[in-house]
Amino acid sequence: MKEDKEEKWSSDLILELYANLLTEIWATVSALIGEAILGLLFTLAIQGIGGKYAFLNSLEVSEEGISLDKMKKDCRNMAPAEIHRGFQSLINQLSHLFSALTEGVINKEILPKVLPKVREAERMVSQK
Amino acid sequence: MRLIFKDLNILRSIINAIGTSIGSDVKGIVESAGTTLPNLFDFSVFGVLWKEELILYLFQEESCPPSFTQEVVKNMIRVFSIMGEKQMERERVALQVEKRKLKPNQMMMDPQATLKSYLTLPLAIEGEIIGCISVNSDQPNAFDAQHLQFFSVIGYQMAATLKHFQRLRSVKKEAIYDSLTGLMNRRYLEERLSVETEKAFPSGSKLSIIMVDIDHFKKVNDTFGHAAGDKVLREIASLLKSSVRTQDDMVARYGGEEFVLVLPGVSLEAASTIAERIRRSVENTPIDIGETQIHSTISLGISSFPIHRIKYKEELVKMADLALYDAKRGGRNRVCVFTGL
Repeated sequence: MKEDKEEKWSSDLILELYANLLTEIWATVSALIGEAILGLLFTLAIQGIGGKYAFLNSLEVSEEGISLDKMKKDCRNMAPAEIHRGFQSLINQLSHLFSALTEGVINKEILPKVLPKVREAERMVSQK
Repeated sequence: MRLIFKDLNILRSIINAIGTSIGSDVKGIVESAGTTLPNLFDFSVFGVLWKEELILYLFQEESCPPSFTQEVVKNMIRVFSIMGEKQMERERVALQVEKRKLKPNQMMMDPQATLKSYLTLPLAIEGEIIGCISVNSDQPNAFDAQHLQFFSVIGYQMAATLKHFQRLRSVKKEAIYDSLTGLMNRRYLEERLSVETEKAFPSGSKLSIIMVDIDHFKKVNDTFGHAAGDKVLREIASLLKSSVRTQDDMVARYGGEEFVLVLPGVSLEAASTIAERIRRSVENTPIDIGETQIHSTISLGISSFPIHRIKYKEELVKMADLALYDAKRGGRNRVCVFTGL
């Protein structure tokens, strides 16, 4: 029972961490390429890996931004490591798209924000 | 700060150039952007790939070697394919290249130059990717975050202008063509007939009209349904279109199951030969409707200037119509020439 609670708590933290990270990515990249294009790229990235990590399909993308509200409700019982792996894949997919479009220009802006957060998520998952 | 203000002004002028070039063709829209873009940043090739027409417009430095151009084409198609649902084939994309002097002489491109840096963005509007836009350079790290910001604004304007252009063209098309058969519509026929009679009347040059009506068409609709009727209309329209000269002649749907052929420079005798050839062609071409075949026939009426003396274009159509009436009355599936009121 205690373990279950801890896992729930840990999942919430991981989701929160990635929600913040995606919000930061959105703010940075939308300033460079605009919300409409970024929204399409997010959708493409989710389509690319949504088959492997189905929970990512509940990410809500619009021109206003990205919302994890639905996902937070759906994924509370998921293993934190699985959530972490899914988001890692999503960020890799996005990074691959950004690189295909603009070589290093976008990635140079977001990597300093992404790397510390992903490392933090890794630490959280491994502590468990 | 002053530099940014200057760049913003240039950006405004590019946006303005793209937005106001809507009256021209797509090539003109790309050119207007390409001409002003070098004021904002250095590049070797500026490209716009438009999905609807599968066409890639390149606006490039005149010293750009062909191998560099090919590299850009390949890269743009590769990037676009990553964003699209399926792989785009290079062979299917038509290329339009415009060469301009973008760099001063001392900066002529090396004949061995290769693609060193690029920015490519989707042309996205209303949630749809309609193409992509790209700047390419033979210099490494030629573009930074500020270039990307400016280029994305250009991309949005380009997407909006192309979409607008697409809609405008579709409206124009609807105003000219009959949506079912793809032939010219009656409104356009009237316009075209005015032009042709204005040309023919003063000089006395030949102008013939053939009016066509599908025999017993109502029976086709009643027996096989309207979808079958539509197919018959489309098939016969296609036969008519393939029976005339593509450049000079015109085939229009006059209404219902009636068609009109306008044949400038064609004598009455030649028009009769054409009409008879069309009649036989329709008679000998069965139309597949599901598992059955329909054998349609047509009746045709001809009028021809200057043999038939007229003052107004409407008279020419009326004469062809009267001749058509004779063909119907004479038993259908035949050609009749107007013989007098």
